[in-house]
Amino acid sequence: MVLKLAFTITALAYASAATLYGVYLIRGSEPAKLWGARMLWASVILHAGLFALELDQLQGLPAGSIHQAMAITAMATCVAFLALSRKRPIAVLGAFLTPVVLLLFLGAGVGRDVPPVPGPVRTFLLPFHIGVNMLGLVAFAVAFAASVGYVMQERQLRLKRLGGIFQRLPPLDVLDKLAYRSVLTGFPLLTTGIVTGALFASRLGTMDGASAMAAVLSALAWILFAGVLLLRVAAGWTGRRAAIGTILGFLSTVTVLLGYLLRGSVIS
Amino acid sequence: MSDELVVVGLSHHTAPVALRERLSVPAEAAPDELRGVLETRALNEGILVSTCNRVELYGAGPDAEAGVRCLREYLDQRGRPDPVQSHLYERRGEDAVRHVFRVAASLDSMVVGEPQILGQVKHAYEMAHEAGSVGTLLGRCLTRAFAVAKRVRSETGIAAGTVSVSSIACDLATKIFGDLEGRRTLLLGAGEMGEAAARALAGRGVHLVVINRSPEKAVRLARESNGEARGYEHLASELVAADVVISSTSAKRFVLTRDLMKDVVKARRRRPLFLIDIAVPRDVDPRVGELPSVFLYDVDDLSQVADQNLSQRKQEVEAAAAIVEVEVEAFEHWRRTLDLTPTIVALRKHFSTVVKEELARTVPRLGELSAKERKSLDKMCQAMVNKLLHRPLTQLKDGVDDGEGPALIDATRRLFDLADAAAPEAAPETKTESTEHAAPALAGISLGLSHHNVSGEPE
Repeated sequence: MVLKLAFTITALAYASAATLYGVYLIRGSEPAKLWGARMLWASVILHAGLFALELDQLQGLPAGSIHQAMAITAMATCVAFLALSRKRPIAVLGAFLTPVVLLLFLGAGVGRDVPPVPGPVRTFLLPFHIGVNMLGLVAFAVAFAASVGYVMQERQLRLKRLGGIFQRLPPLDVLDKLAYRSVLTGFPLLTTGIVTGALFASRLGTMDGASAMAAVLSALAWILFAGVLLLRVAAGWTGRRAAIGTILGFLSTVTVLLGYLLRGSVIS
Repeated sequence: MSDELVVVGLSHHTAPVALRERLSVPAEAAPDELRGVLETRALNEGILVSTCNRVELYGAGPDAEAGVRCLREYLDQRGRPDPVQSHLYERRGEDAVRHVFRVAASLDSMVVGEPQILGQVKHAYEMAHEAGSVGTLLGRCLTRAFAVAKRVRSETGIAAGTVSVSSIACDLATKIFGDLEGRRTLLLGAGEMGEAAARALAGRGVHLVVINRSPEKAVRLARESNGEARGYEHLASELVAADVVISSTSAKRFVLTRDLMKDVVKARRRRPLFLIDIAVPRDVDPRVGELPSVFLYDVDDLSQVADQNLSQRKQEVEAAAAIVEVEVEAFEHWRRTLDLTPTIVALRKHFSTVVKEELARTVPRLGELSAKERKSLDKMCQAMVNKLLHRPLTQLKDGVDDGEGPALIDATRRLFDLADAAAPEAAPETKTESTEHAAPALAGISLGLSHHNVSGEPE
């Protein structure tokens, strides 16, 4: 009962932060921007409290399930964003990031009665696998928000709509560099996550249809991010195509997570 | 009656850049164009203002309707085959004066408060002088307009925080590239707008490259902006290297064609390129804006930012508009007194002649007068004339202000039989304050007695 109440309050806090950032993006209200950041900090604190309440229910490993891992990822993404926005003019990206965070948090609350981690997977590699996946997802979430901002800002410039949204969004170059650096950070983590995931899959032996789909989507996400990085480094690509590649890569990653959620499985 | 001022033209308010560039007149062609307009005899005076944001003709003639018709026909011919009439606006009399003042004071500019327009109107005035098409009325109107512009800039904050079209372009570049420090910026054309752009860019730490048909001008501008001048043969390679391109040449055709820019975009590997075309006629083919990673802005696009700029400085604009209104009223007062001046001069001449004739008859009967006595007599007569004329002339002046001027002038001429006494050449073009216009005609009437001997013959 207490857990449910705490979960609801935290979800409402995340939703409020998302709404405030949305208001700031559309209306340019400075109080909305200020209170959006405050509400996001409050959400992180509430989330940490919720996590503490859940600790006594966890058996050994924190973030041992996909749900807990997603919840921690949501929290870590917020902390990363709030830290980044202290030194960069990217507060408005909260409008794109907080809905994703809310989605991850709500997803973490679905089907929490998960089966325990199977024996062959419960090794020293598991926390490492979960950790790199979570950090990779945080980096890609930031890259996703920056890329959405880039596509939107690029569209504003192309259509010559130089109003409020254009003024509030950061310069294209800032968004492009943020997305690039985030992908550069997330890609090795994703690669490591996929490699360790493949290792666990081989230990479990058989692979059902959902797991195979997840593996395909993971590979697709990896190929997209690899393509984006390759084109950026080798061909000097910047701009819209790189941003769209980043968005698609992140969406593929999220789809993998959603696939797991629907399946109610453990982390691969 | 004096001539009436008229204005006919189109601007960024009423016509797209595609039409404005069709009607634009190169500065060197303005005198000939003006002479052509005045040959129609509908107007006595004319000034042609052609900038990237407006093409306007200011005229003065006895029949405002005929003047407007003449100017409309001229612009219509220049715009053919495109229909121009629906884009034209016209102003007459006081409205025309207000328009000229507002234009010079940069209240009608795309970027309200920008300083370039005053220089452009002054240049148009000089061209009109060269063509011999400036007379009393337009001359006075324009010189007052320059004074009004100066007053507006010094007495309001309209220029504070304002930006030129060039610096708006720089702000947009900042929204694409973040910090402009070290960014390579190509300035194509080193005309007036190009120079303004260079100044705005230099302050933001860009690396400036200037390409101009005239290498000397490019070198000078590059030196002033700590940049480098390149020859026209380097255009393609500089387009590949540049982050921002500001184009403001006076070329009649597109300088940056779609084919050229297609190759440039390919060579740039889709690196964003910000193209600002502030030339009229335009330098950049509008289809270049459809190429990937190219952001093309022309003068009309920049007006959006200007509108925002305007709303932020609404109070200053209102204060400036109030100054313009006061100055328009002062000018109109002066203009009305143009009708009064010949009457005042004729009246003074009439009184002077009567007194002179009476003195010529009376003085010989007084015997030998010393120089001092002659001077005293002269002063006394002068004072009498001034006192006698003071009230009627004051009434005439007041009548002009009250709108009774024509009736009073007519009555005065009939009462004193001044019908043939018009002296339009005495119009006080050189007077600076309208309230002073009649003073020289009233005061200091000298009957010249001290310079005459008793027989009335010059000494």
